[in-house]
Amino acid sequence: MLRRVCLWWRCVSTALAVLIALSTGTASLAQPTYFLLGHEAPDFALRAVAGSNVRLSEHRGDVVVLSFWSSRCSPCRTQLAALDKSLATYRSVGLQMYGINVDDDQTRAIEFAHGGQTVNFALLLDPAKAVSRRYEVDNLPMTLLIDRNGIVRYVLRDYSAKSDDLYLQQLRTLLNE
Amino acid sequence: MIGINMSHVVLRPSFLAARKGLAAGLVAALIGLSLAGSPAIAQNAAPAAAAAPANAAPQSAPASTPATPPAGADAAATPPAADASADAAPDTRGLDQEVQGLKKDVVDLNRDLFVLEEELLFPANTQVAVFLSMDVGDFFALDSVQLKIDQKEVINYLYTPREVEALLRGGVHRLYLGNLKVGKHELVAFFSGKGPNDRDYKRGANLSFEKGIGAKYLELKINDRQRKQQPEFEIKDWE
Repeated sequence: MLRRVCLWWRCVSTALAVLIALSTGTASLAQPTYFLLGHEAPDFALRAVAGSNVRLSEHRGDVVVLSFWSSRCSPCRTQLAALDKSLATYRSVGLQMYGINVDDDQTRAIEFAHGGQTVNFALLLDPAKAVSRRYEVDNLPMTLLIDRNGIVRYVLRDYSAKSDDLYLQQLRTLLNE
Repeated sequence: MIGINMSHVVLRPSFLAARKGLAAGLVAALIGLSLAGSPAIAQNAAPAAAAAPANAAPQSAPASTPATPPAGADAAATPPAADASADAAPDTRGLDQEVQGLKKDVVDLNRDLFVLEEELLFPANTQVAVFLSMDVGDFFALDSVQLKIDQKEVINYLYTPREVEALLRGGVHRLYLGNLKVGKHELVAFFSGKGPNDRDYKRGANLSFEKGIGAKYLELKINDRQRKQQPEFEIKDWE
């Protein structure tokens, strides 16, 4: 009897440990300590690699995804492709997406935009890094999800299959609001 | 299958009688409960009950006697319900008016705070405001404006297609609001965008002006010059 109880407790404690580890992993992906979470996203206007200038405040009423990226960062390029897929799915329900390039050499971003691996959303240039500084970008890729009221609701500071699932889940939550 | 099998079960007469009594009691209790529980049914039933005794009165007087009190009771119960609905309606209206009044107060307060902020940050004796307007725009598609006052960049503004459209519809954009000392100053504006034949186009315009005691308003105007098929940039000093 005692042996059974011990075994049961061991199973329960293992399951709890796994759950805690999983939740910690998810939390580290989401970085809930980001200073802009729950605050209005700072407005900006940036030049696009191709097309017209973009001002964030003009998209109030849409869910906006901002992805800070660099042409030197391999996960960034993979993430841009993944974001592009989600845009194709959710564009009709009010999703706007922008990739903000933080390269020192803007020609690499332009080459990327005009190269084979193109995306269907505007790639913006931030040559003075004024926007990156305002958003305190400290990791690449960094993705922000802004709700229809212009409030920063989620931030992802990494890209992996797990973070991609989390991103889609958060994106659906915002689109459903 | 269970129903068929049950039909073959032979029940004892005493058990059947007990079951019948229980069923009748249950039905009566249910009817009583439903009549007492739903006021709508009770109210609808009341006129019928009141009408029935009226018709039945000549036939039997005792039958009308028990039917009359419920009708009277219902008639007494109906006015409070109507009063309650009448009381509820003005309350809601009053609340709506209160909310509207509060909203108006908030808007007024916001306006006053905005004016106060402007007065404090940009007092009239040092205030300088630069506006931008655009006319026609056939020969120039505005992209950005860089503004320098006394060789110091004060703003570099990127225009989006929506903003350009608003300007073309007659809108005037307040590009810059700042403070300047009394005296002579120089304003230089660089306009960039697409010129005739969709070529990159960058032009500058400058103005030397005297800042007096009052607020200073300057306007950057972009016009089309039809004769030269070129855009024209000028800075107007509003006295």
